[in-house]
Amino acid sequence: MKKSVCILLPFCFLSVFILLTACSKDKADNNPTAGMTKISEGYAAGAATKVEIYSKQSHVNTGYNKFYIALYDSASGNRVEEAHIHLTPVMDMGMMQHNAPFENPVSETASGHLFPCSVTFVMPSGSGNWTLEIEVHNHVTDKEGSLVLPVTVTDPAKSRQQSFTAMHNGAKYFISLIEPSSPRVGINDLELAIYKKEAMDSWPADSSLTVTMIPEMPSMGHSSPNNVNPVHTGNGHYKGKVNFTMTGLWRLNLDFMSGSAVADTTRFFDVEF
Amino acid sequence: MKQLFLLVSFSLCLQAGAQVPVSTMSDDSSRSIELREIQVSSKEPGNRQRMLHFYRANQSSTLEDILSRLPELSLLRRGSYGMEPAIRSLSGGQINVLVDGMRIHGACTDKMDPATIYIEPLNLENLQLQTGTTGFVNGSAIGGTLNLKTAIPVCHPGKKINGTISSGYQSAARSIHDAFQLNYSANKWAFLGTASYRKSNPYRIGGGEKIAFSQYEKINYSFASTFRLNAFSRIKADYIGDNGWNTGYPALPMDVGYAVARIGALSLQHDKPGRPVYRWQVKLYANQVRHYMDDTHRPAVPVHMDMPGRSLTFGLFAEGELKLNSRQELHIIADASSTRLRASMTMYEPGQLPMYMLTWPDNRKNQYGAGLNWSYRADSNWLLQSALRLDYVSTALSSREAKDHISVLGFTNASRNEILKNISFTANRKLSQWLKSSVSLGYAERMPTATELYGFYLFNAQDGYDYTGNPGLKPEQSIQGEVSVLIHGKKGQFRAGVFYNHIAHFISGAVNPSFSSMTAGANGVKTYEALPGARLAGIESSLLLKPLSRLDIVSTLRYTDGRDHNGDPLPMIAPLKNTSSVRYQFSKVFLQLETETAADQRRISRKYGEDKTNGYILFHLRSGFSFLLAGKKTDLQFGVENLFDKKYHEHLDWGNVARPGRNGYVMVKWQF
Repeated sequence: MKKSVCILLPFCFLSVFILLTACSKDKADNNPTAGMTKISEGYAAGAATKVEIYSKQSHVNTGYNKFYIALYDSASGNRVEEAHIHLTPVMDMGMMQHNAPFENPVSETASGHLFPCSVTFVMPSGSGNWTLEIEVHNHVTDKEGSLVLPVTVTDPAKSRQQSFTAMHNGAKYFISLIEPSSPRVGINDLELAIYKKEAMDSWPADSSLTVTMIPEMPSMGHSSPNNVNPVHTGNGHYKGKVNFTMTGLWRLNLDFMSGSAVADTTRFFDVEF
Repeated sequence: MKQLFLLVSFSLCLQAGAQVPVSTMSDDSSRSIELREIQVSSKEPGNRQRMLHFYRANQSSTLEDILSRLPELSLLRRGSYGMEPAIRSLSGGQINVLVDGMRIHGACTDKMDPATIYIEPLNLENLQLQTGTTGFVNGSAIGGTLNLKTAIPVCHPGKKINGTISSGYQSAARSIHDAFQLNYSANKWAFLGTASYRKSNPYRIGGGEKIAFSQYEKINYSFASTFRLNAFSRIKADYIGDNGWNTGYPALPMDVGYAVARIGALSLQHDKPGRPVYRWQVKLYANQVRHYMDDTHRPAVPVHMDMPGRSLTFGLFAEGELKLNSRQELHIIADASSTRLRASMTMYEPGQLPMYMLTWPDNRKNQYGAGLNWSYRADSNWLLQSALRLDYVSTALSSREAKDHISVLGFTNASRNEILKNISFTANRKLSQWLKSSVSLGYAERMPTATELYGFYLFNAQDGYDYTGNPGLKPEQSIQGEVSVLIHGKKGQFRAGVFYNHIAHFISGAVNPSFSSMTAGANGVKTYEALPGARLAGIESSLLLKPLSRLDIVSTLRYTDGRDHNGDPLPMIAPLKNTSSVRYQFSKVFLQLETETAADQRRISRKYGEDKTNGYILFHLRSGFSFLLAGKKTDLQFGVENLFDKKYHEHLDWGNVARPGRNGYVMVKWQF
């Protein structure tokens, strides 16, 4: 009796374990956008494709927004996982129009059924309207088409988008805070994206600046140890580490240098948690 | 089932192997002293016990008053309450402070709650102090052990109720102290309950000024019961509760709003004189301390701050006393304990989210150890003793949040597992009828404390630095020796000793210029580092004279010199100090004159924010008599401390906060 229990028990545990892991995998497979918010959707005329845009945020905020695009064949409803997507964000202010930095999906094959991409809305809606044009080349049906979706951009409680006119070359740079997105006490990933505005319709990623980041609690006047300055890792993304020794309001002070020339030393991001 | 059996057999093993000088002494305390003198300590504690007895005769004294008069002990003072004991200038994690053999970890990151605060003199049966070379048998420590033994319910044949009521007043702090003790025994059962209430206002110092935030208020209650299983065995249950509130710490930027301790134990004790295993006990215990510091009452604080802390300890031990033969005796102890700590700080800036961090990130320490003390009476002149102790200690951070905190300091693996080794040898030689000498050599180790390993920006008001822990710290190691002589005659005795203690990996804060201080106005951040070495050397002497049957003279003298590896003075070293008392017993009234003399302390550690402390001399006058009230013995005691209203502070007092000035006191105690 005892022996049989001893033998059976591990099997029971094993099967429960398998069941549990299997279940969780199934769930992930079934819904790749679980926990995300659908920002907008529409049909790309000509491509016979339905386009859905998802975000891990509940709103579209001023600054860097990571989007996940899901494509469906508009006839069959099946997912389209082979496609070429091109984005064009447009700010229409009546008198003038300008674009904004963006990152098209890197691959023409979906990753986890979705096409990750990003748009950096450099200002909130209000003084004008944002639209996002999405051109889709559906590789399954080999049809092309596009759609234009209106997007409402709001300022978050603490700004995650800054810009400055560089002292060394007079160019305008746009800085987005990507990480920490959910800050906590401890070591946090720090990620910035830097774009340079070359023209109304040209906002390339910048890799020419070096960044120094010093966190500070404004109300206490203290910093934290062992931070790592963000360094360029590709496509205008700068990655480092920021350490928070307590919760509360932290200010990430940023200095930007171009070689030995100072670009700007006045910008900061506030993070409160 | 199997597990249960294992557990039972394990505990049986513990019991069988654990026979020795258990903490439980017989009810006759004088016998226990005599016993101890021969057996346990190389330090002739008989001398010490007599001194304790002498000072305890002043019944209005607090435990701290009594402790401060022992030459081996000094007290670190941060407020008028909760002074931290130091044995030969070693304190905190360097020593064990036990209550009935139980480990109690304070819940205060500023060490405002040493375990000594939970024992009122009324509830103190006896006090064991073992210095370095023998003080590790109960737990690896380099500085010794202070074990406070609580009062034991007294068993009388038949039913009997007796007790004590006392009440006292002290003028310097306009403080009151009321205490009540009740003993009830009925055949096999005996109960002892004590309750005590203290309320103290801000005290006045020499010259008349009042020290703000030096008030405190607390109640302490204890309940002990024994059930006699047979002529030799009994089961004992103990509970101690202590609630303190509105406790000011003038030397710190914060006070204690509320502090609660709950201490419970269950033990099985066996006492059978004449048998080889003549005494043993097994004890299971648990205690919890909660401690809430805040600065609500302080004026002009930049940011309001709360600092709650909690400690939880479980443990068990088995110890026994064993007579191997007519010459050899053994005291064995095996024990295990687990301590969990967590303390946090929250600051409130209007209009912002609260600033919250863990100051003791959740951590636990598990300890398993065994120790023994062997004594061998080689002949009528030689007594050889050896003590051994091994501990396995494992510490770790116990939550993700805690690990995240410590990762900020640059440590990814904060777990520590150490085996701590301790050994000592003592030779006692009777040189003549009136002269004894003792030589002792030892090696001891101690684990770094939770603060030293995991402390997270803990502000030290003494040197003005925030301290951060270092999970990589090695255990401190100490090599120490002491020599003492005891001269005793019919009219008294004199003991003098010298000690030397070399400590390797001495743990100390080192300025860390790359860190920025968290506390507003702090001088910077220090991280605990191990200095290559430090040394302590000192002398202690005590004189007990009874030239006439009515006259007692007690005098102690101590001096310690502490240096780090560069020869710079160590902080918190008391200067040369003498305490002398003369007591004369008239027919009913006694009169006692006491002096306390301290030299200047010029050997100071500027690195730790110390400055020179002036010497002082104080005079205390005490008197008292006994009479019958309603047919029961009543003691009335009164006196004046600091007779000449001297304004002074001791070198170990944080923040140079002056001590009380002239203090008149009166105390009445009625026994029924």
